[in-house]
Amino acid sequence: MTNHETLTESMFIKVFFALIGLTTLTFLQPYFMHQDLSNTIAIQMFIAVIKTFLIGAYYMHLKYEEPLYRWIVLIALITLSIFFIITSFDAIFRNSINDFFT
Amino acid sequence: MDHSSEIEIIYDKQGNPHEVVDFNDDYQASKLGFWFFLFTELMLFGGMFLVFTFYFYRYTDNFLEASATLNIVLGGINTFVLLISTYFLGMGLINFKNGEVSKAKVKIVLTIVFSILFLTIKYFEWMAEIHHGIYPDSEILNAKENGIILFFGLYFTMTGLHGVHIIIGIALMTWVLILMNRGTITTKKYVIFENVALYWDLVHMVWVFLFPLFYITGLGR
Repeated sequence: MTNHETLTESMFIKVFFALIGLTTLTFLQPYFMHQDLSNTIAIQMFIAVIKTFLIGAYYMHLKYEEPLYRWIVLIALITLSIFFIITSFDAIFRNSINDFFT
Repeated sequence: MDHSSEIEIIYDKQGNPHEVVDFNDDYQASKLGFWFFLFTELMLFGGMFLVFTFYFYRYTDNFLEASATLNIVLGGINTFVLLISTYFLGMGLINFKNGEVSKAKVKIVLTIVFSILFLTIKYFEWMAEIHHGIYPDSEILNAKENGIILFFGLYFTMTGLHGVHIIIGIALMTWVLILMNRGTITTKKYVIFENVALYWDLVHMVWVFLFPLFYITGLGR
């Protein structure tokens, strides 16, 4: 049941440099790849999600843990996604008339 | 309380006695319990990001205008400061598990130093805003448009709550150092250190989203 593979020092350093690179990209993207708002947000969130994945998998050891821990994170993400989806309907359609019975 | 000298007996349904071993040292339970706490943290910050997203959608122009006034250099430096601090704590944990106790202690101290640097930069950033009359419920801020009031309300609330987490993190790391010196945390029994490192990674993870949303979006106009 226990996974004996653990995070090595060299892997930890590799992930650190990947995070440094991605952070630099976050910082410089609007200056060097100037995009409109929706593209900027899409690129920024894409970088943030990759960084989160690296932090979760390696720095928080989820890659090396039992599946239960990954499930905890997955359930949190699914729950938050449901909140975001439901709220997005409110944000988008709040001022429009939605009467399905007329 | 030290339970090592006492013998605890529990009885099963048939009435057979069993000695309780590892009274205080359930590694899996300690870690699982901490992950449940992290789950609540994800919900807490996730809820705040939901509020931010909702109002960003409804007051996009105001949010971009307000975002462009934030100091991206200070925010950017803080992003690197926090990343380096997570490196030191994570590396300290690896060192500790390998038995290199003094190396681990130095790295925890370095993490605390970088955390204090983060808070100091944050202090100067906030003070600059406050000197401009921008703080929750200030006359200057209240005279501005709704979206700008909401942006700065969320900015102070979310970076403030994140800052509180940094302060708690510093206290926890100091506690870990004390427990190491007392011999409560050892190279065989390090779950408290591991959990504090997990907490610190979560604090870093929150900043990974806070920085682009608050500071960078204003450049995307």
